[in-house]
Amino acid sequence: MASLDSETAASGGVKFLGNRRAYWRLLMRGAGLLMVTLGIYRFWLATDVRRFLWSHTQVDGQTLEYTGTPLELLLGFLIAVAILIPVYAAFFFIALDLGSIGQMSGLIGFALLFVLGQYAVYRARRYRLTRTIFRGLRFHQTGATWKYALRASLWWTATGLTLGLAYPFQIANLERYKMRNTFYGDLAGRFHGSGWSLFLRGLPMWIAVMAPLAVTIGAFIEVVDWQALANAIELDGDDVMSRIESGNPALAGVFVFAMLMGGTAVGMAALLYPAFQAMMLRWWSSGLRFGDIEMRSSLRTRQVYGAYMRFLWFAILFCIALAIIGVPALLAAGSLAGNEQASAGSEIVATGILLVGYVIAALGFSTVYRATVQLSLWQLGMESLQLSGLSALGRVKATGQASSAVGEGLADALNVGGY
Amino acid sequence: MTSGAGIYFDGITSARHDVAVVLGATGLHIAGPGGRLLAQWPYNEIESLTAPDNVLRLGRRNNAVLERLEIIDHAFAAEIDARAAHIDRTGTLQRRQRASVIGWSVAATVSLLLTAYFGVPALAEKLAPLVPAAIDRKLGDAVDMQVRGILDIGKSGAAFECGTADAEKPGRAAFDKMVRRLEQAAGLPAPLRSFVVRRTEANALALPGGQVYVFRGLIEKADTADEVAGVIAHEIGHVAHRDGTKAVLQAGGLSFLFGMLLGDFVGGGAVVIAAKTVLQSSYSREAESAADAYGAELMRKAGGNARALASMLGKIGGATEPGMKILLDHPETKARIAAINKVASARTTTPFLDAGEWAALKRICAG
Repeated sequence: MASLDSETAASGGVKFLGNRRAYWRLLMRGAGLLMVTLGIYRFWLATDVRRFLWSHTQVDGQTLEYTGTPLELLLGFLIAVAILIPVYAAFFFIALDLGSIGQMSGLIGFALLFVLGQYAVYRARRYRLTRTIFRGLRFHQTGATWKYALRASLWWTATGLTLGLAYPFQIANLERYKMRNTFYGDLAGRFHGSGWSLFLRGLPMWIAVMAPLAVTIGAFIEVVDWQALANAIELDGDDVMSRIESGNPALAGVFVFAMLMGGTAVGMAALLYPAFQAMMLRWWSSGLRFGDIEMRSSLRTRQVYGAYMRFLWFAILFCIALAIIGVPALLAAGSLAGNEQASAGSEIVATGILLVGYVIAALGFSTVYRATVQLSLWQLGMESLQLSGLSALGRVKATGQASSAVGEGLADALNVGGY
Repeated sequence: MTSGAGIYFDGITSARHDVAVVLGATGLHIAGPGGRLLAQWPYNEIESLTAPDNVLRLGRRNNAVLERLEIIDHAFAAEIDARAAHIDRTGTLQRRQRASVIGWSVAATVSLLLTAYFGVPALAEKLAPLVPAAIDRKLGDAVDMQVRGILDIGKSGAAFECGTADAEKPGRAAFDKMVRRLEQAAGLPAPLRSFVVRRTEANALALPGGQVYVFRGLIEKADTADEVAGVIAHEIGHVAHRDGTKAVLQAGGLSFLFGMLLGDFVGGGAVVIAAKTVLQSSYSREAESAADAYGAELMRKAGGNARALASMLGKIGGATEPGMKILLDHPETKARIAAINKVASARTTTPFLDAGEWAALKRICAG
């Protein structure tokens, strides 16, 4: 043990001590209990996962510690529900009552909940930071949550309008805001990554995904006789499609082309996603600073692809297991509900079988994903870090208080949670 | 073994202290290099915290200062564990907490399902009469807007409602005559607003606030005016029972029970949707049976042929419905027809329309 300590201290690195099997066990037990408790166990599972990841991550010979508790998360969730119920009820009544505002209420509601979601993201980050202990001191986060929520919402709008081109600048800007307000004890954090460098690195990927779509739109503009199309739609009758076709003989070919190109774009996105994740993680962790402590990530893209290959492998194994168990269960359900004389009771049993099967499949894939990709990204992200300026670690003073879990609760209720 | 090595953080600075830990009679003595005493921890204030498997990480309970002591030597860690009551290395306390969570969640699920099955419809039954007619009407208008948006494809150029063009006016008059007779027999608190609309399906709808839509397809499929009247009587049953308002209350109640209180986890959404669909179908089947009974009774009161509703249902529904019974929003047609025929008596009846009026009604959407 002593030799291991001196080793990591010398290299200034981060080690991950977690055992994959133990993590699998934790997740599988969690998935089973999630099903039995209809999801209430998620607060316990989230806490277990964080405790595992934090306490097995060793920085300069000392492991991190997560001090959050499941009951805090449950309480935060309940508070969030108490806040959200009147909001939902108000929208219900507005939709009924006021004419034009009522019609807009869906849009307004979406916008409001989106901003609230960003609010929750920032508050949840604060909760996790203040529950992270290292060498007897906690991390904490300052900054006005509403300012962050508005800023993030505006950036997301810009990213949406520019089809993702503004994303690097959004991430850089938001990360600067977050890290400027992040502290380890009295050691202030900051973020050093630049949006432009991420933009230039990400641009080829963006083009690779967008080019097929652009070509498709171009082909439509080139081929479609817009006048004929407008006439075809305006004319009365049921066979609009056949009229559109007769007006634009080349249209069927363009549709096939569009489907091929759309498929290419989706395929490209799926193939490039691990590379994108590796790029983001490398760029992000290389930009983190705490006082004199600087980080550099040497994460390799092929390591991330390896994590996804492992996911595919386990997913295939899980599919086989599911088929072996699932086919007899499906047959049983079919024989229960298939004939016309089936009673309501046997139909309910059959529906129950189908539902349980669906939930097992969904939970299974999510467990496989967490145990492979999520764990690997954590491990790779941590182990590829090189820290310098670690001598500052001996002199940090304690500041900051533990914050409430309402943000996490909101994030959970609004479905924007992270780890 | 009464002393060992440890790593100590005082919770005030991040400085690491390599310390000697001595097991005293009532607590731990933590001493730095040269024997300087850094801290004294009574055994009953010590708790264990999450750490890698080979490290025992200790803190002081209920202490705002995050003092930490880490013991790596396994045998020495066991010695401390034996003395401090609150160290939960085997996880017994945690397991007990988890077991109670699981037990109570199962209990909560059972009570949730029971409330959804029995409580929500009963509550809607009690609450619907308390909703003021004005709100009912407003709700109806909101639903009406949506229904029209869905049903009125607006391509044919003619109005969605039949009976406005000159050629259609006699049909409209016949329709009004029929509805008036039923309405008088029903004695509803608020007037009905009923229309024939240009849809080819054989169907009819009742909305909150007393709006009834009869699809032209229904009139085309009917062989006598009483068959149309029977379906309208069934829809008046929905209006009288305020089923539209009840359905809104029920849907709201279910959304609240399942959407808010149940968690979202992967796959949980499907469970919620399935449970809501099955429950709502069961509420709807009950409402349909009640409307059938009301419709048959109303036809009898209005002096019409109650069996006409049954024969019309036979034409619309067909012999068997495909799919699962627990997902049907109507009871099975055979059972409905049998139930209606049981209520209907075989006495002489007055037809709702004469032959000329019936022919006019058939042409209500001709314009």
